[in-house]
Amino acid sequence: MAGYIGRRLLHLVGIMIAVSFLTFLLMYLAPGDAAAKKLNAQGVAVSEEIIEKTRESMGLNRPFLVQYGDWALHALQGDLGNSYKDDFPVAGKLARGLRYTAILAVTSLALAFAVALPLAILTALHKDSLLDDITRLFSFAGNSLPNFLISVLLMYFLCVKAHLLPLTASESVKGLVMPCLALSIPICGRFIRQFRAEILEQLGRPYVSGSMLRGVKQRYILGNVLHNSSISILTIVGLSIGTLLGGSVVIETIFRWPGLGKLAMDAITNRDYPVIQGFVLFTSTVYVVINLLIDICYSWVDPRLRKPGGRS
Amino acid sequence: MKQSRKVFALLLALCMVFALAACGQTAAQAPSAAPADSSGTQSSGTESAAPAEPKFLKMAVNFAYPSLDAHKDYYGWYTQIYGVTETLFRIDADMSVQPLLAKGSSVSEDGLTWTFELADACFSNGNPVTADMVARNFRRLVEVNGRYEDWAAFTFEAKDEKTLAITTPDVFPTMLVALTDPEFAVMDLDATTDFDNAPIATGPFVIKSFKPEGDVEVVRNDNYWNGKAKLDGATLFYMPDADSKLLAMQSGEIDCYTSVDAAAKAIYETDPSSYVLTVIPGTRMQFYVINKTRLSDSVCAAINLTVDCEAIAEYLKGTTSAAVGPFIASAPYGQVTKPAPDPAAAKALLEADGYTLNADGYYAKGGKVLELSICHYKSRQLPDLAVLMQEQLKNIGVKATLVVQEDPDAGYVATGDYDIALYCMIADTGGDPYYCIDALYRESGKWAKAGFPTDEIEALINKLQFETDIDQRAALANQIVQESIDMNAFGYVGLFNKVSVARPGVSGFSENIPFDFYGLTADTDIG
Repeated sequence: MAGYIGRRLLHLVGIMIAVSFLTFLLMYLAPGDAAAKKLNAQGVAVSEEIIEKTRESMGLNRPFLVQYGDWALHALQGDLGNSYKDDFPVAGKLARGLRYTAILAVTSLALAFAVALPLAILTALHKDSLLDDITRLFSFAGNSLPNFLISVLLMYFLCVKAHLLPLTASESVKGLVMPCLALSIPICGRFIRQFRAEILEQLGRPYVSGSMLRGVKQRYILGNVLHNSSISILTIVGLSIGTLLGGSVVIETIFRWPGLGKLAMDAITNRDYPVIQGFVLFTSTVYVVINLLIDICYSWVDPRLRKPGGRS
Repeated sequence: MKQSRKVFALLLALCMVFALAACGQTAAQAPSAAPADSSGTQSSGTESAAPAEPKFLKMAVNFAYPSLDAHKDYYGWYTQIYGVTETLFRIDADMSVQPLLAKGSSVSEDGLTWTFELADACFSNGNPVTADMVARNFRRLVEVNGRYEDWAAFTFEAKDEKTLAITTPDVFPTMLVALTDPEFAVMDLDATTDFDNAPIATGPFVIKSFKPEGDVEVVRNDNYWNGKAKLDGATLFYMPDADSKLLAMQSGEIDCYTSVDAAAKAIYETDPSSYVLTVIPGTRMQFYVINKTRLSDSVCAAINLTVDCEAIAEYLKGTTSAAVGPFIASAPYGQVTKPAPDPAAAKALLEADGYTLNADGYYAKGGKVLELSICHYKSRQLPDLAVLMQEQLKNIGVKATLVVQEDPDAGYVATGDYDIALYCMIADTGGDPYYCIDALYRESGKWAKAGFPTDEIEALINKLQFETDIDQRAALANQIVQESIDMNAFGYVGLFNKVSVARPGVSGFSENIPFDFYGLTADTDIG
């Protein structure tokens, strides 16, 4: 296992180099540059001469490989540089964004999981019942509605009509509730459908009918079903964690939640290469590490996978 | 199985926590309460039932920056909106330059040295504003802000405690206008220890709490030199999303904001007893440039005769006002005229140039259909404008293709690869036409590739640059802009309106000043 983890972490280095290089290249090839974006930020026209001087001072006139090499060299030493937009350290910006994104991601995922798993079990056990129909309708709607619409509906009903929650309470526990709900609803919808399908598949397996015929209590059968579904459930949840930690631009903008999604989008708009690079490094690391953790969890859940040749 | 039960119980408990957290907010939602501080608690100002209710304004703003250092980047725009910083001069609602931290000014006979008498102003810590401090502030601005690099050639000198002299290498008639830029804010450079979070300045308010790229809370500056602020304080919520602002206004969580979009404006208009809308022409201009190097004079003229700015403004539902030139029509330098839209005349011009309508209803010459590219980018309602222009041109038989680019400056503006280029910019930064004219019509400017600049225009711009007489400046500006219209090189479509909304009784948050960089003042009140 240790060797396996070591190899996977070694792969991470290659992935980070490839991803950062490609991102840098794509940003370099895209029209526009950080100097003009910075100086014209408020729509005030600035002379080409000043833009050129700023470009020079920011090092944007250097050849691509020199720019990338310079960035990579500093990144290897743990220095992600300063933002082109405001000259603040990228690491600090990412750390702040990550803190808020992680809070939002973890709470949303926990909420979605807490709602989805019991509902998926119930609807699988009572397939085609009224509860199943209602739940499927909810999961279909939650899955289909775009984030911004869910957000606006939540704000309208919870803030404007019911005055239950404040719209202006960002960056606090109060401010967390609505973005968390807005993120959870589609995830919950997706989880219910996927968990239900997995549990139904397990319920149709011969070991379930055999156990029932032998008179094994339903709760024990259910325990086995859940245990056997756990690998698929882990995969679904793991992939969601990766996506959520990348941030959600729409939700973060609407609910004024200062997470990574909005930070990344602003950086792309402003051609803020250091921030974009930092973000890319972070998200690629998250994906690799999450996948690795899920793989480790697999072997924890299913001991057969620990045996040599078990990971096929 | 027991373990599973425990897990379920834990997850259900988590749901309960969320539900309780949601329900627990009701009491905090009383409208017009004092602002919440960064920790989410109520300000002490409203807790006492004093006879005179403390006045705290809650306002939404569209941008938020990571620093309050007024000299850097565009941060000064927002420190001024927050009512924290001030400049030597400011612009009034009638676009005139008025003294603020300066009592008055004079310029030497050769026009190279400006002398300013400072008002008896002081910083929020009680320290007096001295000429030396102002000079040091300006030197710092030049040092830290690339946009003011040209000012490195100027000298800033304190003649005495309250007299500042600025010497320029060339005549600089727009000095007073330039000094209204929010970046020329004066801060106490000696006493300020944290420019990013707690600058000490001269405005009617001081920072109480500041979240980088987030909300800002200000309270009255008790040492304010120019009267007493009517408000006890204000919270400025960073709300970039239009729907969030509308809903926050409807839920009573904010009292006012500017940059109301068309959809929200329509909703506010249905309830005038709850919302007061203020609509004034702003300084941000939508315009198009016709590429005269690619199109004949008759086609250029036909385009300008076809584009109906009034119809476009109507379609955009009051978010823009139809423009004649780049400046507000009431300004002395906004006195230009253009022909009324006349599709029949446009068609006659094309036909006189040899174009005939083909079977598809489009004008063609020599078997080649007249097809124009309309280049634009996705911002400031330019996509809407592009579609409307395409439709109007189609109505007279001219085919137009829409080309959208992400970065116009690096794209079609730089290459000159367009027939019609749409663009949006601030046309008036402070009551003088030179900035805009310099940006639009110079032979060395970004639009030169469209073929408009002539030696005559360049000479007029050079004259305007150094002209000191205000009336003469206006006359020159009018002449240059009129030429751009008469030559069918530019089309000025609309000036974005500054649309503000407030609750009844809320006033003085610069809703009547067309510039984006004014906000709270000592006169801001919530009635």
